[in-house]
Amino acid sequence: MDADRMLVFTSVLLGSGLVASVPLLLAALGETFAERAGLLNLGIEGMMLIGSFVGFLAALNTESIYFGLASGLLIGMLLGFMFGLTTITLHVDQIIVGLGTTVFASGITGFLFRELYGRRFPSLSVSIPKVAVPLLSEIPVIGPAFFKQQVIVYSTWVLVLIMAFVLDHTSFGLRIRAVGESPLAADAAGVNVARVRYCAILIGGGLAGLGGAFLAVGDLSFFVPGMTVGQGFIAIAIAMLGKWRPRRVFVGALLFGILRSVSNGLQILHINIRPELTLMLPYLGIILALVVLAGRTTLPAALGIPYQRGER
Amino acid sequence: MRRGALIHSLVPLLSSLLAIFGAFLVGGVFLTIMGKDAKAAYMLLATRALGSSFGITETVIKMAPLLLVSAGLLIALRASVWNIGIDGQFLIGAGAVGVVAPRLAGVMPLFPMLIICGLTAFVFGALWGVIPAILRVRYGLNEIITTIMMNFVAIYVTSWLVKGLFRDTSVVAPQMPSIPKDWRLPHIPLTRIHVGVVVGIVIVLFLHFMFRRGTFGFSLNVMGLSRKAAVHAGISVDRLAILALLLSAGMAGLAGANDVLGVKGLFQGEWNPAYGFTGFALVFLARLNGLAIIPFAYFFAFLLFGGEMMARTAGIPVFFVEMLEGLMLVFFAVSVYFERAVLRKVVQE
Repeated sequence: MDADRMLVFTSVLLGSGLVASVPLLLAALGETFAERAGLLNLGIEGMMLIGSFVGFLAALNTESIYFGLASGLLIGMLLGFMFGLTTITLHVDQIIVGLGTTVFASGITGFLFRELYGRRFPSLSVSIPKVAVPLLSEIPVIGPAFFKQQVIVYSTWVLVLIMAFVLDHTSFGLRIRAVGESPLAADAAGVNVARVRYCAILIGGGLAGLGGAFLAVGDLSFFVPGMTVGQGFIAIAIAMLGKWRPRRVFVGALLFGILRSVSNGLQILHINIRPELTLMLPYLGIILALVVLAGRTTLPAALGIPYQRGER
Repeated sequence: MRRGALIHSLVPLLSSLLAIFGAFLVGGVFLTIMGKDAKAAYMLLATRALGSSFGITETVIKMAPLLLVSAGLLIALRASVWNIGIDGQFLIGAGAVGVVAPRLAGVMPLFPMLIICGLTAFVFGALWGVIPAILRVRYGLNEIITTIMMNFVAIYVTSWLVKGLFRDTSVVAPQMPSIPKDWRLPHIPLTRIHVGVVVGIVIVLFLHFMFRRGTFGFSLNVMGLSRKAAVHAGISVDRLAILALLLSAGMAGLAGANDVLGVKGLFQGEWNPAYGFTGFALVFLARLNGLAIIPFAYFFAFLLFGGEMMARTAGIPVFFVEMLEGLMLVFFAVSVYFERAVLRKVVQE
């Protein structure tokens, strides 16, 4: 194997890994906020899927990528609001509602897609232009991979920094953490627990929807039923592995994005390996990462527990 | 006091029925918006799946995997073990039988062959639960994510094996060798229904009485209700959690054996019936009660069969059933909220 091809391989692997990491990153950042506030959103998989579908539909019909992404964000927020309505206001079981949302999402997107397109699979004709960062994109291997990307890829980096700042250095971030660790104490201190949790789940749902929309609109340019293939659940694991810190979550998302693109990369090397073996890498990777890094994670104390005034 | 007891047993049933009704209502509105004749579709569902002997037979056949999967989920959920890896465990169990059964057929009498196949499926299904179980007790990692990850690994592993090592090379489609007709699950006399249903019902009934009377069932209940209480009662919670997860995974594997030996007759590539979430909806609506699982299994089997019917004749995509199941889960969670409010009022009176 010659060195040139190896360099191309590395560059493509990193580049497509970076793009593949965006949906994971967005969803995991959203889940970070939700979980920090005490909400375990297992509906994230479904919210991503609906975000993909709605985003794709909007982009296909308006021929605007950004309209597609915005639609994904909005539908995600709507779903997040529904999740909040049941789990925050009605205090019902988060796991059941979350799984129910995911099952429902898989059903309704499949239904609508089949109704609209039958067995055809249209793809988008528009794509987001790539912008090369001056100088940085000249760096061999890393340059074209990291600094010749769609604008939205760069904006997720900014988002990571903003979210880290909000979580660590603003009173809103403090409220989120307080509500997730001890809603009782937060309530006593005058924090409106429900309102903070609603904010967190709106962010969580919105980013999941946006991530899903990016998957369909920004990365693949098509939609197929069930296309998220567990990425929402991977995002939950990434948030967990990143200990709910945005910068670490970013590293985790990038790593698993790269794992997701291994099969694409291998085609460049003309290595003939069965796709099933490379496709299972992210899932095996999550289990492995949990084994290696486990025991050192501490969940927010009130995660998954509804807060009801006057009860205990 | 008697009134109270009656309310306490009736209200849970009522909230399950309410959840189902709500799902059908929303589903019906959705169909109408989509320009479908919702009333005709539901009528079709009722007449084809309930009113014809063909429909009833097909429904009963579909009950078998649901009963087995639910039996596994009953064990897990009673102990508050969230085994969401049913689909993967099912596939691994089915794949193992797909490999073993064609090789055993003709080598030994039917009965021992079926027993060996059942055990194989159970063991392989259970093996698929080992990693999540260890991660839970050793590192305190919640099994939800790990079991889901194992589902995807199972899909790719079985798909790899069916296209490679265990492929029947005499046919074009990726599949394992088929099991000769005489070496599949025998039928109940005078019907087309194979005995898997009977096995399922017996296991569910056994579990029901185990949770009622047995100490093992009791310890699982205690652990499910309060881990702390279980620890204080001297129950070894770690061992019990592993056992619950493995048994539940084994039952899912057995369900896989049921479908390969009773329905399909072979293991095909890209085949994944994904009973897991149906099982979840089923067991929750049955309120984790073994006896109630049997009628609810009939109901969900009816829904699965009816879904195929609606797809074929009313042009309603099969995804509709999945939608209904999702709605049922959400509505169930919500109706439990109202149920608690009602019961609290009864207690106060």
